[in-house]
Amino acid sequence: MYKWFALKRVLKGIVTYVIIIFIMSVLFNTVNEQTMRSNIEEQVRAESARLKNMQPAAIQRFQEQRRQDLIHLYRLDRPFMERILYRTWNTLTFNFGKSTIIKSSRGEREVLTIIGEALPRSLILFTLAAAIEIVVGIILGLKKAQKPGGSLDRSTSLITMIVYGMPTFWLAMILIMFFVYQLKIFPSAGMHSIPPPQGIMYFLDLLWHMTLPLLTLLLIGFWGVSYMVRNIVLSILQEDYIMAARARGIPENKVLFGHTLRTAAPPLITMSVLQLLASISGAIIFEGIFSWPGLGNLYWIAVQQNDIPVLMGDLAITVGLYQLGLIVLDLSYGFMDPRIKVGGKA
Amino acid sequence: MKFADMQYRFSEFWSEFKKERSGLVGLAILVLSLLVVIFEPVILPWKEANSKWRNIDYWQDNSASAPPAWTNAFTKLKAPVTVRLDEGEKEEAYLDGGIQLVTYTFEYDYGADKAPLDVIFHVTGHGDIPVQVSVERPDGVMLDFAQRFEQGLAGQDIRISLDNDGREAAFSFIKNYESESALERYSGRSLRTGDILFNVAREGMAEEFEPLKGTYKLMVKAMLLDPENFSIENPYVVVTGSVSGILGTDDSKRDLFSGLVAGLKWALLIGLLTSAISVLIGVLYGIISAYFGGAVDSVMQFIYQIVNSVPVLPVLIVISAIFKPNIYMLIGVMVLFFWTGSVMTVRSMALQIKEETYIEAAKALGAKKSRIIFKHMVPILIPYSFASMALSVPSAIVYESSVSLLGLGDATIVTWGQILHDAMQGAAILKGMWWWVLPPGLLIAIMGMTFAFLGFSMDKILHPKLKTR
Repeated sequence: MYKWFALKRVLKGIVTYVIIIFIMSVLFNTVNEQTMRSNIEEQVRAESARLKNMQPAAIQRFQEQRRQDLIHLYRLDRPFMERILYRTWNTLTFNFGKSTIIKSSRGEREVLTIIGEALPRSLILFTLAAAIEIVVGIILGLKKAQKPGGSLDRSTSLITMIVYGMPTFWLAMILIMFFVYQLKIFPSAGMHSIPPPQGIMYFLDLLWHMTLPLLTLLLIGFWGVSYMVRNIVLSILQEDYIMAARARGIPENKVLFGHTLRTAAPPLITMSVLQLLASISGAIIFEGIFSWPGLGNLYWIAVQQNDIPVLMGDLAITVGLYQLGLIVLDLSYGFMDPRIKVGGKA
Repeated sequence: MKFADMQYRFSEFWSEFKKERSGLVGLAILVLSLLVVIFEPVILPWKEANSKWRNIDYWQDNSASAPPAWTNAFTKLKAPVTVRLDEGEKEEAYLDGGIQLVTYTFEYDYGADKAPLDVIFHVTGHGDIPVQVSVERPDGVMLDFAQRFEQGLAGQDIRISLDNDGREAAFSFIKNYESESALERYSGRSLRTGDILFNVAREGMAEEFEPLKGTYKLMVKAMLLDPENFSIENPYVVVTGSVSGILGTDDSKRDLFSGLVAGLKWALLIGLLTSAISVLIGVLYGIISAYFGGAVDSVMQFIYQIVNSVPVLPVLIVISAIFKPNIYMLIGVMVLFFWTGSVMTVRSMALQIKEETYIEAAKALGAKKSRIIFKHMVPILIPYSFASMALSVPSAIVYESSVSLLGLGDATIVTWGQILHDAMQGAAILKGMWWWVLPPGLLIAIMGMTFAFLGFSMDKILHPKLKTR
């Protein structure tokens, strides 16, 4: 049954996420508590500064009292295990607290708001890039598999290997140097012109700013996709029913895009989601080069400002996103390939 | 498995590998880079680049942000190249009162169209030593630039820079040719000493630079007041040009070629160590998981899935930001995530091997589990993991450079990622300093390409399904 398979997979994903967050809470406990304590100190100081007409001794008593209250509130006086579990629960419920320096565009200091602003910007960039990569990659990969060992196959495979270890951020730097400062046809940074234009121009402006980041991801990404498509399709093209289809005189394109692609769909979907996940897991900091204000850029800023709460929140969200991607991957795979669902019973 | 078997399998593999042209290219680049690492002390133009990369004094004689020397081939006005003159002609003379006068004369052939930025004299002294530097121009004019009296030296370096210490001398020289009013327009500040020293002496020399080409005699004179106890040694002169070295310099005057050569061994170390350790762990893990099966397998698969569902780079960044690990710890952390790469393939192959009759025979003979695993399964499966070993090298290098790019790298070494970080910090992209941005990333990409060539070729041989021939 698909729904049991699905339920099981989702539950497994949630358990995995909880375990990862728990391990992170243990690992980063010390630094988290340091930040919390300094936050408490700051708050106590701010509160006592507002007090007037009080004796120094009374102020000191008040400060001590407040400090104790807050430490109790954040459970810093509880045993180690309880603090860890409390922190794990907070992270799981997206209760990341307040940032130390970074502010959202409206000036708020809630970490969740800051990340909530960055998340869609990253998603739009990476999903669009992945979508284009997959379309181009599939077409190129099919052409490659049609004549394995041909000149197209060999030349594109060579490029695949050449860009295999190329750092995305470096290509970004080079493209900026060439297109922005030499040719001066693209903006160097950001997501919008300032002030952002209205109406249809808003989207055109966004697209204009997005071109270079997209180009960077594409130039590195789609070679690998096409190579993987080629390998998947290559084994399918040797099947008897493809030969039979060709023998019946079905047009080549229909054989390729109808018969072959349908069979290849499950691994292709796996691959495309993995492609998206790989760029989240490996290329995300290239946003910093373009000052694209997404999750990857947030890592840059948080590292530079040493803003621990934002760093932690960003990590928790990225891990969650990755986990979500893996779940979607398995679910769609099960949906496309009925044989997988057998695994749901076991 | 015996040695002869290994040899046979290797020669079989090699005869296949020879046919893969890209694999051979990869192998050639790998061998070449290993040679560079071995001969690094010979190749490095700046011998102490490894230990003194962040030492400002070590690089002080270079010019900042200088393009590579070979860019002269593409420009109309040739810029002078930074050169270091070590071969000085030594002359000794005795003055009255037992004072020894030591003169070192260095010859500098000047043939560029722009003036050098600076001429810097160095000498190591012992005792109380008055030092004077002077220059004899090709037109016969002798200029005494600066004098310095250093006392109580014990092997310290005396550094005299014409641009800092010789301003007044240069200005009094130019006064002989220029009128007061012309000089007023060009205050002493805007004119470099080099612009005067290497200029044809004439009226209007302050306004326009016309190179006086020829051989300049750069002289260091030191008076040894007490020749018995006082001495000077190691004199050398650096003529700082506006282009420098094979790959230019960055904005803190560091020679980039030296940095890149020094970074090569770290890139190789990071890549190879990370992938080798993680593949070994992965192979063992896969075999143990497959061989024991049952509950052990379930638990191990669960752990595998958890590790596999962590996005590596974000975690690596946060760990580096908080714990500030050195390079070996960073490699360790990468291994924690990289070992998953080969587990699944190895496990499925080990499941097949487990059922083979010779394993059964070994069991029947009473062989221990460890013996079966290490003697019969690991040697067969290790070669299959070579491809994934090679293919995980580039990601290790890229991850390290990404972490370094954020400024979280190990500050005791030089890596390509750190050079790129400095380039970002120094706004090299904005200033168009391509020689600072292009080479480090290109080298990372070439390293990646090398191991991709090797990995893909091995993959083709070891998994014949992908063959095209």
